[in-house]
Amino acid sequence: MLARLNNWADRLIRLTALIGTVGLVVEVTVILVDVIGRFFGAPLTGAQDITAMGMTLIVFGGMALCDKIGGHVNVDLFEGTMPRWMIWAGDFASAIIGAVIFAGIAWTTWQSIYLMRFQMNIVQTTNIIDLQFDWFKGAIVVMSIVTALAMTLRAVQLIVTGDNGQESKGRA
Amino acid sequence: MSGEMIGLIGLISLFVLLGLRIPVAFAMFAVGFVGVSILNSPQAALSQLASDSFSLAAKVELVVVPLFILMGNVATETGMSRKLYDAAYAWIGSIRGGLASATVVACGGFAALSGSSVASALTIGRVSLSEMKRFEYDDRLSTGVVAAGGTLGILIPPSTGFVIYALLTQESIGRLFLAGVLPGLLLLSMFILTILVITWFKPAMGPKGPSTTFTEKMRSTGGAAPILLVIVLTIGGIYTGIFSPVEASAVGAGLVILFGTLMGNLNFAKFWKAAQDSVVTTATVMLILISAYMIKTFLALSHIPQWLGTYLEGLAIPVIGVLAIMLAIYLILGCFLEGFAMMVLSMPIFFPVVQQLGIDPIWFGVLVVLTLEMGLISPPVGLNVFIVKSVAPDVSLAKMFRGVAPFWFAMLVTLILLVAFPQIALILPNTMIQ
Amino acid sequence: ETVKFAHWVPPAHTLTKSTIEPLQAATADSGLQIDVYPGGELGAGPLEQYVRVVQGVADIVWGLQGYTSSQFPLTMVSELPGAKPEGMTGYDMIWNAYEAGQLDGEFPGTKPLALWLSEPNVFIMKDVDVRTPADLEGLKIRVSGSAAAAAVESLGATPVQMPAGEIYNSLQTGLIDGVITGASAIGDFKLDEVANSYTLNAPLGHISFYVVMNQSKYDSLPDAEKAAIDAIAGRELSKSAEEGWYARAESVIEQISSMDDNTVYTLTDEERAAFEELTYPIRDEVVANVGGEDVLKTMQGM
Ligand code: NA
Ligand code: NA
Repeated sequence: MLARLNNWADRLIRLTALIGTVGLVVEVTVILVDVIGRFFGAPLTGAQDITAMGMTLIVFGGMALCDKIGGHVNVDLFEGTMPRWMIWAGDFASAIIGAVIFAGIAWTTWQSIYLMRFQMNIVQTTNIIDLQFDWFKGAIVVMSIVTALAMTLRAVQLIVTGDNGQESKGRA
Repeated sequence: MSGEMIGLIGLISLFVLLGLRIPVAFAMFAVGFVGVSILNSPQAALSQLASDSFSLAAKVELVVVPLFILMGNVATETGMSRKLYDAAYAWIGSIRGGLASATVVACGGFAALSGSSVASALTIGRVSLSEMKRFEYDDRLSTGVVAAGGTLGILIPPSTGFVIYALLTQESIGRLFLAGVLPGLLLLSMFILTILVITWFKPAMGPKGPSTTFTEKMRSTGGAAPILLVIVLTIGGIYTGIFSPVEASAVGAGLVILFGTLMGNLNFAKFWKAAQDSVVTTATVMLILISAYMIKTFLALSHIPQWLGTYLEGLAIPVIGVLAIMLAIYLILGCFLEGFAMMVLSMPIFFPVVQQLGIDPIWFGVLVVLTLEMGLISPPVGLNVFIVKSVAPDVSLAKMFRGVAPFWFAMLVTLILLVAFPQIALILPNTMIQ
Repeated sequence: ETVKFAHWVPPAHTLTKSTIEPLQAATADSGLQIDVYPGGELGAGPLEQYVRVVQGVADIVWGLQGYTSSQFPLTMVSELPGAKPEGMTGYDMIWNAYEAGQLDGEFPGTKPLALWLSEPNVFIMKDVDVRTPADLEGLKIRVSGSAAAAAVESLGATPVQMPAGEIYNSLQTGLIDGVITGASAIGDFKLDEVANSYTLNAPLGHISFYVVMNQSKYDSLPDAEKAAIDAIAGRELSKSAEEGWYARAESVIEQISSMDDNTVYTLTDEERAAFEELTYPIRDEVVANVGGEDVLKTMQGM
């Protein structure tokens, strides 16, 4: 059961990371086209709009994978002197706090979409080429949910198996 | 309970959470969130979580984070970084700690194109750390050098630190930039001196290499030509107005991708791995930056800065004493806060005191930026150290903080020199701008 | 009651003296205390400023319509070149339309306390004296919105988008040749250190601002505090704000005029007409696009 859930979570994690990576490639391309175009007097219309909104995909696209591979920085100054249970407790607390934070980001970002768009009938967009904020906020919602789910799963796994399921990258 | 008290308890809780190995960003989110919930409201804290996440993620200036990491990753994947360090090794590898000194110089050079310490530490760190390891440099020395060297980004112009200071205090950006030049070079020299001292006492931390012939030197320089060309084109493009420092990150990344492909060292699989690694590192770094905002709001709501300001105004001691206390406060706050957050919080309160005491505002700006740099590498919340950790996950943070300590003292000495001899900062702006 | 006022500029900005202090002074006796959080202390940057007040992160916020133009298409008609009639104030224009109920859809969930226009936009140039539209041919000009971009294009220049904080550096390196914005920005962003030629009296429009309060927070206040707010909110506070902006612009222009290495030039009405011919059609096009003909008429008091 846990293994199957993990398998599915992994697929979602890879998918969001893929979106982030595509976003990064688009970002490089757009800025280069804009710079070269501007040199010849024809900048790319809305380049900054794309850059700004694309950043949201890059930043949140990598969140779940970052957690999966233990990429978040923690202070290991006292790790050597800690008993095993304390390390386990720290891992467990991290997974829970992380899950709550990302669930919180997802929930309130969704709230802001709902409030502005559906209750107040306001569609905010970028200034030059009208990219709707809500699409990118929506991406933040989805990617944060994936991250929160992955972290919850990790907390469950810590209880069931005692193992934190992170790949070793972040461990010193 | 007073806001100040809640603020203090919050900072202590942050300390405890960090000690328990809760990831830095999560700990800052948790403390900031609870603090804002108490001092404002839970709904406000929740909403801020969303609005800060979106507005910081959509901040164009921060695109340098993923793009400079991408540049560093591709340069490493294609062996360009390796060739750059081969060249540096051929030229100065025979000196103890030579590569570490070369890395400090690289940080200084990068500082001339980037206004951000984070970007400097990320890019140089990605390029240099594995290379120094290859030549058997100690992790403590190499990570310490990158974390400390990276902070040169906000002292050597262009500098976002000076820009924010100027906008907050209505001082001249041009004068501040000029005032940062000599202190920046002084600090750079102090870092090199520190490396020489460290490797003098502990030669194994930066082992001497064999001496090389002139032909070998030239051949290795030729090998590094593509990456050197990228650097020249990127800096040149900024200073000739072809692109902005932000766009330079995309140009730099584009050029290493282009050269790597042309030389046959970059295929799609390698490129994709480099790009995906960049996205993951970006997540680490940006989450820390977003969480630092939460802490900033918490401290603003706690009114701790105002409380400190009132305390300072009431002091009946000489100017130099007030200055020393202010800088000490920056050092302490710097242990918890990200530098710019600190400036925004404190300057409206401290600057009137500075003006009242007749302290030269340009000189004070340099002192503040230098103190901020020290805060960036001091535990427990040393942003630049965390940044280096994000590109060197195998080195423990404890090692890094130990490695960076001597450089922190070099900065302290530089700070004392600047307090004793304000001319170091003021001579350029005073002679070049009337 | 204590309420939170959030903005993202330094405390020394014109906003404090022209708008926040009068608001605080007018409401203090009623028992309302307004705590100010400058410099983005309650949240990063301008993009989410309106969302912030609606969601209750802050109770009152200051912001620029131009950062999220899609929310304020009709209010922003007031900004356009040639929208403001000679002798009329910007705040009267916006409040004319607001009081007629024409702008209700653009400020949902909040109570506007002040709505106003900046001083007229000017050319802030480096090494280029602008006297005729031809002087702009092929130059790179920084703009923030699509209407401004269209205006710049109509003048034969290339519009360039960039964050406000990048303008200084870009003017210095020559990445851009100039900026179109209000004269007060010259002081706020220290542009006088890198620009050297300023052209006034060109038909380039204005910038609009808002100070709004969370509606349910307002509703929850005691009657005395509500009354105190009502007594100053609207045209009175907006007038103080707009006059503050103009005064700041005047002192900046005076200051840059007194420096030897600067050229400050005011277009004659004849020279201005040549620019009007190009920018006024943009106004008509934008007004038609957003269906703002009636609103513009109301604004202009017709
Ligand atoms: Na710099
Ligand atoms: Na620190």
